Amino acid sequence: MEADAFVIETSELRKIYDGVEAVRGLNLQVPAGSIYGFLGRNGAGKTTTIKMLLGMTWPSGGHARVFGLASEAQEASVEIRRRTGFVSEDKDLYDYMTVAGIIRFTAAFYPRWRDDLEQRYLRAFELPPERKVKALSRGMRTKLALLLALCRGAELLVLDEPTSGLDPAMIEEVLQALVSHVASEGGTVFFSSHQIAEVDQIADRVAIIDRGRAVLTGALDDIRENYRRIQLVFDGAAPAPTFHAPGIVRVTPQGRVLTVISSAGADRVLDEARRLSPVSVDVVPVTLKEIFLETVNEGN
Amino acid sequence: MLWYKSWLETRWRFLIGLALVILSACASVLYYPEVMKLMPLAGTLDTGGPLGQLIREQMELMREYRGYVWLQLYRQNLTQMGTLFAVVLGSGSPLASRAALFTLSLPASRNRVLGTRAAAGLGELFVLAFVPSLLVPLLSPAVGQSYGVGSALVHATCLFFACAAFFSLAVLLSSVFADVWRPLLIALFVAGVLNVCEQAFRGLSRYAIFGLMNGEIYFRTGSLPWAGLLVSAVASGAMLYGATVRTARRDF
Repeated sequence: MEADAFVIETSELRKIYDGVEAVRGLNLQVPAGSIYGFLGRNGAGKTTTIKMLLGMTWPSGGHARVFGLASEAQEASVEIRRRTGFVSEDKDLYDYMTVAGIIRFTAAFYPRWRDDLEQRYLRAFELPPERKVKALSRGMRTKLALLLALCRGAELLVLDEPTSGLDPAMIEEVLQALVSHVASEGGTVFFSSHQIAEVDQIADRVAIIDRGRAVLTGALDDIRENYRRIQLVFDGAAPAPTFHAPGIVRVTPQGRVLTVISSAGADRVLDEARRLSPVSVDVVPVTLKEIFLETVNEGN
Repeated sequence: MLWYKSWLETRWRFLIGLALVILSACASVLYYPEVMKLMPLAGTLDTGGPLGQLIREQMELMREYRGYVWLQLYRQNLTQMGTLFAVVLGSGSPLASRAALFTLSLPASRNRVLGTRAAAGLGELFVLAFVPSLLVPLLSPAVGQSYGVGSALVHATCLFFACAAFFSLAVLLSSVFADVWRPLLIALFVAGVLNVCEQAFRGLSRYAIFGLMNGEIYFRTGSLPWAGLLVSAVASGAMLYGATVRTARRDF
């Protein structure tokens, strides 16, 4: 993939707050046209990374480029934001404005503001134009924040925990809106979440971040294809062998069962495992949740 | 649209301030005949010491309408209210609210956001300085007096420039502290300390910031306090520049 095909690129990106490293040498490449899930536990460094991408926080080291522009340069970060729609985790907007007022206010900054989408989402989200933002429920506020991001005519949507604090029905509505928008308008979506299910539902690529580092990146289909759990059952107590196959994530002997998690398919592991003469061998796919837990636990 | 946002965020502070300075200007002018009726009583006061001297000096000034206006309106009411509302208008960064990330997500530089807010605040301060001053020549014929528009404009200019320094101090402090209260209280504390210092060194008061604010040099000598205006403008510019530098470097 050519370098300019990446909408977001970070290289050894670091951020230190008061001596604490929130982001530690993060390397990311987000291809144009992808829906990229940025998965991590609370405090993993997701929000800090997003703030650095949009010039809200300055990196302590390394580089971040969005549309090929250095996000740490003030003028460039203005241009990045001109081409980006953003929804923050807390969805705080101007409480003193009405829904119609904040839409007018935001639209004024974007020459490519989409009036047609504005009308469509106002109806679809059932947002009352004359109501003050402070009188909106959290769900309505999320929908308004999403409308303000989607109508900018942006090439990139950066969404920080877009569904946090919403009930399951509202989460589904927001995710569907997002998927429909990308299907009809195109563009790239980079969204952070600690909800594995929603990343699994809409993302085509994923990065798992833990303690400020990317511990797993790639296309979701490839990851699902490559991660395998191999369960070997023995007559007696399971041995604790050392596997030499690449991509071994974890080997867990428990009673008569030896469980091997591999991130590089099962074939090479099976070749080695057969030499141990197990009674039975079972190869099963691994869910994203299990992959997440394995990769995050691996780092501990 | 950043102007609109700035207006929405400061309009109540500004409108309350405007109502109070208008009320103060009207009351000062329209109560002039009532105050004059009390003047004969002032002669019967027999207070010695510095306080007595101060009262006698003020009574002497108030025998003329021009002196009355200066003492009552510029030296007392507008100096106090101007300082208060300059600090109130300058306190609270436009990037300190909970919606700061939304503002920062817009394609506007931090300098532009802060600059617009500062310019809007200075514009409001300009109105707060000039409206009550211009009411004086307008209302004076109602009490059988006259007051020069030129004098009113000079006093308004002095008031505006001196208040701009306190406004800029509040803006600078707001770029350091995330809340609205600390910049407000610290700036008012600084104003209080400066006022006490001016009271302690009365001989130099006409050259100090409150002396500039009430236009004492102009009132007593008829010449414009160019040095004071220049120092105030430079200090304000430096503090506003400091606020932009501080805001540009800040992590949100």
